[in-house]
Amino acid sequence: MNTTALAVPFKAEFDPNSQEFALSGVVRPRSADEIAAIISMLKGAIEEVRGVLYINVKRLVQMNNTAYHAFARVLLDSCRTRSDIRFVVVTSSVVGWTERMFAHLNRIEPQVTVEVYDSKFYPGQSFVENTSFIPILRTQTKMTWRHERAILPRHGLRPGMAMADICCGIGDFAMLARKEFQPARIVALDHSKASLAYARDVASGFGVTDIEYTYGDASEMLLEDNQFDFVTCRHSLQIFNQPDMLLKELFRICKPGGRVYITNEKNSHCLGEPRSQSIQWTYNEVARLFSHFEMDVELGPKSKRYLVDAGFDDILVESFMVTNLDGDPQDFADIIAAWENVYAGEMAVKRGDPPEFIERFRQGFRDHIFAALHPKGYAGWPIWAASGRKPL
Amino acid sequence: MHGAENHRTEAAYEPLLQFEMEMGAFLSDWNHCDQLSSFMARMISHNRTDPVRHSNFFSSALNELLEVSFRGGSPDGRIGCAVYRRGPTERVELTFPCPPGQRQFYGEAVAKTRDGDAHARYLDSIATDLAPSREAVLLDLSINFDADVRLGESDPPSITLVVDLPLEGVVR
Ligand SMILES: C[S@@+](CC[C@H](N)C(=O)[O-])C[C@H]1O[C@@H](n2cnc3c(N)ncnc32)[C@H](O)[C@@H]1O
Repeated sequence: MNTTALAVPFKAEFDPNSQEFALSGVVRPRSADEIAAIISMLKGAIEEVRGVLYINVKRLVQMNNTAYHAFARVLLDSCRTRSDIRFVVVTSSVVGWTERMFAHLNRIEPQVTVEVYDSKFYPGQSFVENTSFIPILRTQTKMTWRHERAILPRHGLRPGMAMADICCGIGDFAMLARKEFQPARIVALDHSKASLAYARDVASGFGVTDIEYTYGDASEMLLEDNQFDFVTCRHSLQIFNQPDMLLKELFRICKPGGRVYITNEKNSHCLGEPRSQSIQWTYNEVARLFSHFEMDVELGPKSKRYLVDAGFDDILVESFMVTNLDGDPQDFADIIAAWENVYAGEMAVKRGDPPEFIERFRQGFRDHIFAALHPKGYAGWPIWAASGRKPL
Repeated sequence: MHGAENHRTEAAYEPLLQFEMEMGAFLSDWNHCDQLSSFMARMISHNRTDPVRHSNFFSSALNELLEVSFRGGSPDGRIGCAVYRRGPTERVELTFPCPPGQRQFYGEAVAKTRDGDAHARYLDSIATDLAPSREAVLLDLSINFDADVRLGESDPPSITLVVDLPLEGVVR
């Protein structure tokens, strides 16, 4: 068999500015000679840097013992000859064995340390990943699904497709999509262990075993290229501080000709009558509060720009308004109550807002609930749904 | 399947998947280790709690075992690999022909994974060896994957490695 025809499944890069040597992909050589080029790149990097060399193995999907020993050799030898530099191996909690394997180097040479990059990697992470967000997600999807079940086919979702829901939260969308569109395969990924545990629990409660819930970082996924016909990512580009990185990954895992579907909000456009001014004030503040934590909850209307920049074509953008008239107004009120709890009760407190501010901030949510439940009232929450095709 | 008598006593292990091929064909391309481990990992992981990550871990471990048989095996006879499951654990039984006299070598390597100083031995191998020995590979499995490694029954000149991998607990 001709093995030289196979594409090299790994990549090594050295960036002298960030003093970072990055190794990614599958590294399974038969002998160290096969990776001589990357070993000498590493040696060159060590010669060039001052102070610290970061060794980024976040996307190192596989590495056999032969490669590991060859790398360890270079690092450990350098520790002996260069007491002036430190090595920081940057691993991911997703590929758990890298953390274990590289931690041994620290036992041998304390100059080598291991950092798990995704234990704290985006500013909003602590709010989004613990259990406080669960009531928000639960109430939201109940309302958005009424609209999206009709919207999704317009964006190309058909039965029998391979689909992935990236940043799936508590998995309710995956459950609904599975039931309605009977995908041939459905992967649902999130970086919140609490939400995933909840999702798995719900699925097993319904006897559903074919949703592949997986823990991962959407900006550095283990999923292979060109796997899915339809990739969804809902309300999440606006939560992560580098939405372009997420889109790049969504693009990568999507099959050529397949589509990526995203939904996002423009929170300052939430509205209600009566008491519109208080409501308006609060949602303007919501947008500012999120941007304090580097989250852009005004992203909705920017969807087209993001999709174009990520390389998609045949872009479709539409918006819809979730309102108190969609069904039981109490469902709408429940969403707002969940928002108030987390946004005013946790995030504003974390930002250090004074009690007077928080009280006024809360009032707008209460007025929104008042509008939603008022017999003559109207309350709305606008959402942008957009999709693009990965060119063939 | 070789080693069948071995798991009959532990009926609770249910068979998931197995392959068998001519050792000569297996040895014709190094990439077989990667391809077989990736494929088998994906097949057996689909109904684990986190299929993607389970598959990644399992592929890592199985690839090392296949590489051991690639480096240490002899071309006559067949290589067979079967995967079983019991609760959170997958059992890999890998049988392959190897040159005479190797049995003792594997026996010793396996015994060292259970030694009190396994960890120190493993660190020493990383710190000093140019390339990993088969012994270091088995130590890697027991230390980094919490594997339990044994020798199974097999007819000479074949060797059977029985490796229990409690990955469902490791992939949390
Ligand atoms: C607002 S929630 C939306 C969840 C779900 N799509 C929904 O609509 O109910 C945002 C989700 O994105 C996840 N998330 C944010 N950044 C992520 C990343 N880099 N990798 C994986 N998940 C991420 C969070 O854990 C959270 O569950």
